[in-house]
Amino acid sequence: MGMIAELSDVVLPVFLCAAIGFAWAKLKFPFNNEIVTSLVFNIGAPALILATFAKVELSPTALAELAGAALAAYAAFGVIGLAVLKFARLAPSAYLPALMFPLTGSMGLPVCLFAFGPDGLALALVFFMIGIIGIFTIGVTVAAGKFSLATLLRTPAIYAVIVTVILEITGTELPQWAFNTTDLLGDIVIPTQLIALGVALAGLKVSSMGRSVSLAALRLGMGVLVGLAVAELFGLSGTARAVVVLQSAMPVAVSSYLFAQLYKREPEEVAGMVLVSTGISFVTLPLLLMLVL
Amino acid sequence: MLAQIASIIAPIFLCACVGFFWGRFDKPFDSRMVTMLSLNLGIPALIFSTLTKLEVPIDAFLRIGGIYFIATLCALIFGYGFCRIFRIDPRTYVPVLAFSNAGNMGLPLSLFTFGEEGLALGICIFVISSICGLTIGPAIFSGRTSFDVVYRNPPIYGILAALLFMAAGLQPPRWLANVTEILGGMSISFMIISLGVAVSRIKVQRLARGIMLSAVKLMLGFALGVGIAESFGLIGAERGVIILVCSMPVAMHNYLFAERFDRNSSEIAGMVLISTAMAYVTLPALLWFVL
Repeated sequence: MGMIAELSDVVLPVFLCAAIGFAWAKLKFPFNNEIVTSLVFNIGAPALILATFAKVELSPTALAELAGAALAAYAAFGVIGLAVLKFARLAPSAYLPALMFPLTGSMGLPVCLFAFGPDGLALALVFFMIGIIGIFTIGVTVAAGKFSLATLLRTPAIYAVIVTVILEITGTELPQWAFNTTDLLGDIVIPTQLIALGVALAGLKVSSMGRSVSLAALRLGMGVLVGLAVAELFGLSGTARAVVVLQSAMPVAVSSYLFAQLYKREPEEVAGMVLVSTGISFVTLPLLLMLVL
Repeated sequence: MLAQIASIIAPIFLCACVGFFWGRFDKPFDSRMVTMLSLNLGIPALIFSTLTKLEVPIDAFLRIGGIYFIATLCALIFGYGFCRIFRIDPRTYVPVLAFSNAGNMGLPLSLFTFGEEGLALGICIFVISSICGLTIGPAIFSGRTSFDVVYRNPPIYGILAALLFMAAGLQPPRWLANVTEILGGMSISFMIISLGVAVSRIKVQRLARGIMLSAVKLMLGFALGVGIAESFGLIGAERGVIILVCSMPVAMHNYLFAERFDRNSSEIAGMVLISTAMAYVTLPALLWFVL
């Protein structure tokens, strides 16, 4: 009974907020994804990074270890994904970003926050940021066919990371007014991203399900196994291990769909992957939490 | 003391600045979406989350809400008297003089000044203020009364749900607390950002009268707040929050109703802008007074 309550504390808020977003879109209430994304990307996410790391007392070693584990996990996703796609004769430009970059932001952050509090959120943010850097370098390169560093340098979160690293190294604390401000602004991120996830799910156009289902299953199955293996390899335990496993096993990111749409790489198939893997996740997430809690 | 005041004012000021420059740089913003998200999800969640977290005794809520209701009635009467004396249209200016910005500015200021206790009081006041502002306000602007505005106000349902839990002496389940906490957190930042955006887009007309009326609003509110606090013998956070909220600048919704009922909306928008700017200057003195 205690276990079920503990699981619902984590899963229900995530599910409910996404459901609110889904209903919001179905009711045709105004939701301008461009504006919300822009607010989160430019203001909310950098503020959340600054405020979260000011709040927690995690050793630089623990953070570096998690960053290493995240890098290893993304690399493994890339290699495995590429191998499977080659074997199945599918175009990596369309499917690799979807397999490689899980939904570590909209879903991974709240799950880790609700399961482990601010420490979990901070560790999940490390995993998330490594993914962001990956998406804006490797993801864009794969989908667009050319490499560009400009997108990454225009990402305000990168500068928040740099400031956070400097603060950590010099042992400086944010002044109270700056902490309050970033804390307030950072509060936008998690709820709006969950609502946006629901809105996006409501608007997905899905054509064929067959391939989407197997690729979605690959994303989730590969995620759990790679997460467990990487956590073992890096000798992680407790919250760090749980965060690596949870983040690795997140469903296909909605941003992969946006990329596919932007570069015209089978967006409807990717939409199917997003929908199916997110749907499966709502069922398997409690099991996954039981595994790591 | 100064650091404490800075930690209270700076977040609001900087959040509003974010909105202001967002608007100034013509970045896309959808006030209707943000208002709908705040009014339908954020504020009800915020009210529910705060009230159930704090176990505010219902009698305290009824008390501080009742006191603020009396303050609002007094503000309406004084506002009407002022409009009669200076021969300006009461249907346009009474709501502007009477209704303070208890949401965008009152809530975060109450939170930062008196912590969670202040936020709970601020929310009690905000509920009364929004009920009055969203019913009496449009009634004055439009010239008719409308009851459907009351039951179509989602914050009412947030508070009803919270009152149920409080009356039963129950804590909401953790998942519900989690959901309402994050949705509530969203609404505070959203409201301040949208305040900044709105202020950046308002065309300032008839500046002199706007400045004069804004100063009247702030002084009237402060005098009323102190008078009410004294006559009810309030102390500590209760006294502070009542005075704070009464002294807040012109409420944003006045602009929306003025626009809807075609009553000098650009001048009222200017008053929102000017009184907000003035409040940023008067805030340090005000906070020093109430702390």
